Amino acid sequence: MFLLLPFNSLIVNLLGISLTVLFTLLLVFIIVPAIFGVSFGIRKLYMKTLLKIFAWATLRMERGAKEKNHQLYKPYTNGIIAKDPTSLEEEIKEIRKSGSNKALDTPEFELSDIFYFCRKGMETIMDDEVTKRFSAEELESWNLLSRTNYNFQYISLRLTVLWGLGVLIRYCFLLPLRIALAFTGVSLLVVGTTMVGYLPNGRFKEFMSKHVHLMCYRICVRALTAIITYHDRENRPRNGGICVANHTSPIDVIILASDGYYAMVGQIHGGLMGVIQKAMVKACPHVWFERSEVKDRHLVAERLTEHVQDKSKLPILIFPEGTCINNTSVMMFKKGSFEIGATVYPVAIKYDPQFGDAFWNSSKYGMVTYLLRMMTSWAIVCSVWYLPPMTREANEDAVHFANRVKSAIARQGGLVDLLWDGGLKREKVKDTFKEEQQKLYSKMIVGNHEDRSRS
Amino acid sequence: MGSSQSTSEEVRELVGKTGFSSDQIEQLHRRFKQLSGNQLTIRNLRKAPTGLADEINFEDFLTIMSYFRPIETNMDEEQLEHCRKEKLRFLFHMYDSDSDGRITLEEYRNVVEELLSGNPHIEKESARSIADGAMMEAASVCVGQMQPDQVYEGITFDDFLKIWQGIDIETKMHVRFLNMETIALCH
Repeated sequence: MFLLLPFNSLIVNLLGISLTVLFTLLLVFIIVPAIFGVSFGIRKLYMKTLLKIFAWATLRMERGAKEKNHQLYKPYTNGIIAKDPTSLEEEIKEIRKSGSNKALDTPEFELSDIFYFCRKGMETIMDDEVTKRFSAEELESWNLLSRTNYNFQYISLRLTVLWGLGVLIRYCFLLPLRIALAFTGVSLLVVGTTMVGYLPNGRFKEFMSKHVHLMCYRICVRALTAIITYHDRENRPRNGGICVANHTSPIDVIILASDGYYAMVGQIHGGLMGVIQKAMVKACPHVWFERSEVKDRHLVAERLTEHVQDKSKLPILIFPEGTCINNTSVMMFKKGSFEIGATVYPVAIKYDPQFGDAFWNSSKYGMVTYLLRMMTSWAIVCSVWYLPPMTREANEDAVHFANRVKSAIARQGGLVDLLWDGGLKREKVKDTFKEEQQKLYSKMIVGNHEDRSRS
Repeated sequence: MGSSQSTSEEVRELVGKTGFSSDQIEQLHRRFKQLSGNQLTIRNLRKAPTGLADEINFEDFLTIMSYFRPIETNMDEEQLEHCRKEKLRFLFHMYDSDSDGRITLEEYRNVVEELLSGNPHIEKESARSIADGAMMEAASVCVGQMQPDQVYEGITFDDFLKIWQGIDIETKMHVRFLNMETIALCH
């Protein structure tokens, strides 16, 4: 014990020094740039290095697979079947043509009509456009994360060592660093906004509030090692407008809010989220709803309209899909936010899945598991495009306007534009859709009866 | 993944039975797992207690899918005939809901009604008359001129085949499967 004492103090000293050094480094390289919104470019360098490593790893895998005569890539293309983009009428006419020698325009039922429905039904059973949007996108090549390893077996020792090194770096170095940063960011947000809340209303308060918010979001961005490229920043949302974006995960909020000052909309949660929300609203007017109020669409619309009409208030951030989609497509936008009549600023967000998949599959993972997965990926890399503002035209209804905005976002982000409702993640298709098909078909069969019954 | 002896043998068996390639079988297997919620079988989803089976497993699933495979150019007469019969038998079962081997007037009417029921402008009567007309048509092809008191029981499978004889309808009943060839390894 006597001999241990000097060792003890030595170790304690070393620990103290290394902690101080770490803390200073953290402050200088991460927190201070976050406050001022500048960047040393460390993350971009990190990304370039990772890309080089991935390219090397891919080459090794290809070489190794060739030697062993393995199949390496499985092209998970857009599904297993080729679908014809023809309409119900065209198809049935064709079937009838090859089925019988009768005149084509006599409206009656043919035994062969059922071929069309059987085939379409089968095609949809085998592969459809919607259900695959609710699970993570699959990568074609491996990015050294075991969670994305679908069919890459043991190829070589070097690769396995690299993977092992990756695990070590991610879990033992990056993860604690990121958790520390996240902790710092969140606590600064709560403390900062509460303190700003005590200031008297005025320009100084607004200034402080904006910068406190921005600083904390930037720290959170660094906590996730998110490497974001913003495009067309001159189109950024202005006061009195609504910012609309496609939704992939809760991180979208952090990504957008670190580059602009928004008013958030949402339901008040309990727990840590609730604490954050209550603190934030002290500094500037966010729109939080009680759980009971969320169901009342009228009330929601009223409060949003009120907020938007006050030109001094911040632009609202809304995700009209209502749920997280896997970033390969954009699903139906709920028309509520498009009825208000404010200028809409569309934003497209596209993640690069090679560095880490940001999609939150809420049926598979809870929030905490999801955040841990985010923090143990290599990085979150994404591109944000600010699209030029759009307004509702004179004789356009809200649904049409919503679809127009959705198409613009889908086009910019390179995503598939779907008309289906993201709510299908949890619910079944409404019967009205089935009825639409039946109506179409019966129009073909009976056709003129409709006109007759109208007159 | 994990190519153990038993699974690759199973796959080979399925390839032989259904004619799909092993990549296509793998893809369909993943789809099956998604539809069944990772169970071994898919349960009968209909609310009414109809249908022959309560649940189907992956092999049954694949067999049904294989009815929709396109006719290959290298098939001989016998295979072609067999293929055609299988496809038409599948369609026959679509109509024949109680699987007694005959499509009765009632069953025919049910099918037509289900296809048309969404349209509020069509009354039940017009749907019925459409079905009746079509049934008469089918009867005339199968049995020829009927005596005034002769009752037409229903369309049997042979009659069904007779209706489609000489007409190349099965070319319309296939799904175009993408050939899942792997990307050739570069360099």
